[in-house]
Amino acid sequence: MDAHLSSSASPGVSPADSEFTPDRLGRLLEHPAIWRGRSVAQVETVATGFAALDGALPGRGWPRAGLIEILVSRLGVGEMYLLLPALASLTQRTSARWCAWISPPFEPFAPALAAHGVVLDRVFVTRGDSPEWAFEQALSSGACDVVLGWAGNRSAVSSRVRKNERSARTRAAKGLQPRDIRRLQLAAEKGRALGVLFRPQSAASESSSAILRVTVEPAEQGARIALLKSRGGQRGSIDLTWNNRNARSHGST
Amino acid sequence: MRSRSIRTEHARAPDTRLRPQRSETIPLFPVTRDFVVAPQAGAATEARELWIGVHFPWLPIEALGPRTEVPRAIVELQGQTQYVVAMCERAEHWGIRPGMSLAAALALVPYLETKPRDLQHERQLLERLAARAQRFTPRVSLVPPDGLVLEVKGSLHLFGGAEALCRTLEEECRAIGVKAVLSLAPFPLASLAGARAGKTFIITEPARLVGHLTRLPLTTLRWPADVLHRLRQIGVYTIGDALRLPRGGFARRFGKAQLAMLDRLTGRDADLRASFQERERFTRRRELLYELDHHESILVTLTPLLEELGEFLKTRQCGITRLDCLLQHRHAPVTRCVLKLAAPAANAGHLTKLLGERLAALSLPEPVRAVELRSGWVVSRAPAMDALWQPGEHGGQTTAESTELIEHLRARLGHEAVYGVQVQASHRPESAWVATDLGAHRSTQASAPPPWPAFRRPIWLLRTPKRLNERDGLPRRRGALELLGGPERIETGWWDGADVARDYYVARDAHGVRLWIFRERHSPHRWFLHGVFG
Repeated sequence: MDAHLSSSASPGVSPADSEFTPDRLGRLLEHPAIWRGRSVAQVETVATGFAALDGALPGRGWPRAGLIEILVSRLGVGEMYLLLPALASLTQRTSARWCAWISPPFEPFAPALAAHGVVLDRVFVTRGDSPEWAFEQALSSGACDVVLGWAGNRSAVSSRVRKNERSARTRAAKGLQPRDIRRLQLAAEKGRALGVLFRPQSAASESSSAILRVTVEPAEQGARIALLKSRGGQRGSIDLTWNNRNARSHGST
Repeated sequence: MRSRSIRTEHARAPDTRLRPQRSETIPLFPVTRDFVVAPQAGAATEARELWIGVHFPWLPIEALGPRTEVPRAIVELQGQTQYVVAMCERAEHWGIRPGMSLAAALALVPYLETKPRDLQHERQLLERLAARAQRFTPRVSLVPPDGLVLEVKGSLHLFGGAEALCRTLEEECRAIGVKAVLSLAPFPLASLAGARAGKTFIITEPARLVGHLTRLPLTTLRWPADVLHRLRQIGVYTIGDALRLPRGGFARRFGKAQLAMLDRLTGRDADLRASFQERERFTRRRELLYELDHHESILVTLTPLLEELGEFLKTRQCGITRLDCLLQHRHAPVTRCVLKLAAPAANAGHLTKLLGERLAALSLPEPVRAVELRSGWVVSRAPAMDALWQPGEHGGQTTAESTELIEHLRARLGHEAVYGVQVQASHRPESAWVATDLGAHRSTQASAPPPWPAFRRPIWLLRTPKRLNERDGLPRRRGALELLGGPERIETGWWDGADVARDYYVARDAHGVRLWIFRERHSPHRWFLHGVFG
């Protein structure tokens, strides 16, 4: 794009010309006829609570509507701490909608959530044997701000519970199909909700229609976040520290 | 009448024209000017309304059901002692009277059967009586716990005059098994006072009313006991005595509420009463032309009934919190599908969606031949306004949709499968949170911040701690665990049997996941996993 710009803006003048300053380039780029990749990122967002991560995400935050995937090697590598500041700020709003936890792997510990600033009145948890259905319903209902779902633990739980049902086991073993992800993404857009799907890292190689895909790996005092896919954003990895929320950014942009 | 004309003549003729009701007074005593007693506009004025006051003196005992061989009495605790409030005829024959203490009553009749007072039963019986009395007039009001007032002026000519109407009403009550005392007067409170005093008078002219009321005891007005006591101390026993007292002093010494009641009694003030409305429920049944065995086709046949229910609720601005759907088969017993709602619902589409989920989960023993819908009692409900904005945009509110989602999820997953979480004041991790039922209401109180920093507690808690393997006294989980912090000692709960004595540590496993583990303080000093930091 830069090559195209320079050739169209100053035909016959070399880029090394003294008139061509960054200031003029900036003004030129404001021209409404010029379309840039990052301008897709005009989406409503909620701040992640980490400055370095905000800077790397399109629209400077998690999207308010749409499905994002958080890929983790194991549960508890820091994916909840990554999300908690956003959950807190979403539930603290006066017009806050529900924050739904669909079949979480363990019980969310209420005192810890409250300590992180999450308003518990807006939180509900569902159990039961059809989490995909509940996930889609909650996303599309329009009554939720955030819906959290766990794709990985279904195989572990349901294969133990219904060992006899062959169909259930095979379905669970197959996991979520790209078609299911697409449905969830559409449901999230319909209900204007942020859907967060936690998946095992093995799903990184699969194609997905989620608007944002992030991997989380544990680090010494926090976690390393890698952006696998982000519409109109950057790719790269960011080191986050939980306690003081300082972060360092490095890698390609 | 003569004194009135004198008064209006020489005192305030212009005032009379402005406020004829207030200024035309009949001074009973020439000295004081303003008396409690209400003036009547004129002797020949016809009453605008006529009220029958019905008093049920034995309602507490009649609420128990049909009479038995054993003498029975209803007792109520007042202060430290139990007193008889009502008794059956047999007990009355043996000399038991209301107001007797229980000990005295038992001394008279040792085999007396006593029951505590059941106000809810009495209320139900009173509502039944009110529903029956609505045969005579639509304006029936309850006077709990034991009275009714009926406005009957428009009905008199239909039932052959006041006396005949009273007689028919009394018979109607007797058919239900309740003894009634009736009085008719131009004002509801006056008729009720007459009935409570046992005087079955019929007064159709307001001018004659005060003369009848003066002889009634003050207890018929049911004022607080201390007010009645103070009035007795100054020698005021009857309504007539009270009416003769000066207004200002009466209000100051015995309360404005009592003065207002006297005003309503004599018609000086209007006495507005809410009419009784029987509670309703919706029941519709539909026979099917073909036997159906698939839930979707059953739902299709139910849809018109549900739409009718929606209309029924919409016209009444009401909602229901319970809906029973009965499916009838040829041989098998009726299949019942019950829908319970978190908030009163009136939307047919919403109810159809919920019922569809429930029917899908149902297994039918046989094909269905008939369907029936029975709603619970309708309850009043603030009709929802459709928001201008979509939920979530520009602060659009989402109250209605929030409960709809919860109900929708519950209809399929089960009631207990959808819950909220709240903080409980406890140091034990397992009782520091509690699963709560999600109602329509939101608790407004902000929970106190916990006494420890946010990162001291894990995001995830295991419902029951999981035993960890050990090697050389150190815990292992998929490899050795590295202890990062601790110990934090939690030793509490000795008072309720679920006491814990644990040392909590933060540990990191080989994959970098931080765990919250504890070691028992008492032997065998086992290690457990209790939480996972997010």
